[in-house]
Amino acid sequence: MIPDITPARELRDTCAIVGTATSRLGKVPGVSSLDLLVEAIRNALDDAGLKASDVDGVLCRGPDESYSHHQLLAERLGINARFSTTLTNGGASQIMSVALAVMAIRFGLAKTIVCGFGRDTWSRTHSSEEARVRNETRPESMLAREFGPEYGYFGATAAHAFGATRHMHLYGTTRDHFGEIAVAFREHALRNPDASMKKPLSISDYHAGRLIVAPFGMYDCSLRSDAAGAVIVTSADRAKDMKQPPVLIKGFGFHNNTRGWFADDNMVVTAAKQAGEAAYAMAGLGPRDVDTAQIYDCFTYMVLTQLEDYGFCKKGEGGDFVASGALRLGGALPCNTSGGQLSEAHCEGMLQIVEGVRQMRHTYPEHRQVKDAEIALISGHGGNQVCHSTLILGRA
Amino acid sequence: MMSETIRKPKPRPAPESLPYWQAARDHRLALPKCESCDKFWFPPTRSCPHCLSMNFSFENVSGKGKIFSFVTYHRVYRPAFEADVPYVVALVELDEGPRLLTNILGIPHDQVTCEMRVEVTFDDYDDEISVPKFKPTKG
Repeated sequence: MIPDITPARELRDTCAIVGTATSRLGKVPGVSSLDLLVEAIRNALDDAGLKASDVDGVLCRGPDESYSHHQLLAERLGINARFSTTLTNGGASQIMSVALAVMAIRFGLAKTIVCGFGRDTWSRTHSSEEARVRNETRPESMLAREFGPEYGYFGATAAHAFGATRHMHLYGTTRDHFGEIAVAFREHALRNPDASMKKPLSISDYHAGRLIVAPFGMYDCSLRSDAAGAVIVTSADRAKDMKQPPVLIKGFGFHNNTRGWFADDNMVVTAAKQAGEAAYAMAGLGPRDVDTAQIYDCFTYMVLTQLEDYGFCKKGEGGDFVASGALRLGGALPCNTSGGQLSEAHCEGMLQIVEGVRQMRHTYPEHRQVKDAEIALISGHGGNQVCHSTLILGRA
Repeated sequence: MMSETIRKPKPRPAPESLPYWQAARDHRLALPKCESCDKFWFPPTRSCPHCLSMNFSFENVSGKGKIFSFVTYHRVYRPAFEADVPYVVALVELDEGPRLLTNILGIPHDQVTCEMRVEVTFDDYDDEISVPKFKPTKG
């Protein structure tokens, strides 16, 4: 059921990403999420050959408890900003910030905008015994009041596992299929010196991993990371004369199944469907044109269902699609080629954007480059499992 | 003292869900039903999500439904559930339409399936609160 709207095709190719970088990834004790984000932005400015004073827009997502995080960030960057705000769509925020940047630049509200996100999740939860205990024993006041905790229902793992169970029931999807996603992304991480996970993962390792909330075991779950990433967006005209080969922003789209993850069929047909259709329409492209996908992989199952929702295979055929080896470098649709949130680091979709940009530049060594890749699709998923963003990038 | 710290979280009813918990204490499952469009909804709120009417009352439902989906906790997230793992948290779709998060009792965790028919049963927490849970329907 697609609303009768026409995506703004005139936004296609008007802006480009001219700089991108990450902070240190994984375990970075003693550094706040804001400092990690500043680190990523400084690296992205270097990558672009720009100074902070060249930037007149700041878009970010902050920690949930931070008020007007973009103000704190711009203060650290030492700049005033024409266009600046904080987004709060969880893992769908990062692509939305890039889209907002395009709209602001296209309509003359700013010239060059930095978009980024940083988090210190490993430090907050695992860096010390105190942090572990704090994470494990949250006070009652932080729980939902009713309709969850009394049943022992806690955490994002279970929420997503509900979708996995339903998908398995409807379509015969198996844990072998989920395992192939974990194994493929781990294989990509081994090619990425910045990735957190350094050890190979076999399908038997996957099955030997302890169960967390079945059908998910430990290897179905993404990492707890200290990580930040940033991209710098400017007009395609200005991008022509800059240090890096510009990567064009060809389309974006959004959808929010705000009736709820537990409503309708939302846990098996995600908002990626409508978000993807909108992004394809703006870009004038379809799933067959996509050379690499960087999919929001908070849990293995979420990759499988999004691949279906984006039209890379039919609904219900995601298991066979991943089992074919399609997601691997060299496969039909190399996916999460830096290792993803399952094996590189979890930065709520920001690193998916960074990797999409890098694949479009063709500056990777051969063993990391998706050969002849011209178009990258990137997804962001968040909120309470129902907010979705899609970004399509292309080589200039 | 010790028994306090290991008790499962006690539901803390919001003003709009109080009638739900009052009915549950009497071992009845009652949900808000819209007087304008005749539909039930859950969780309780002060307006109908189907038509935005604010005219509604809590009506008993059959307490029967089927499992839409479920998960099985193996990890202990809170000590109060340590004795229960592996335990099932399910989303039950009532015959009247709304879906409720709940536990499935009276069946080994590895025999629970989607679409399984279930019916409500009540787990008395204390004098104030009884928690609606579900068990497989007989026959």
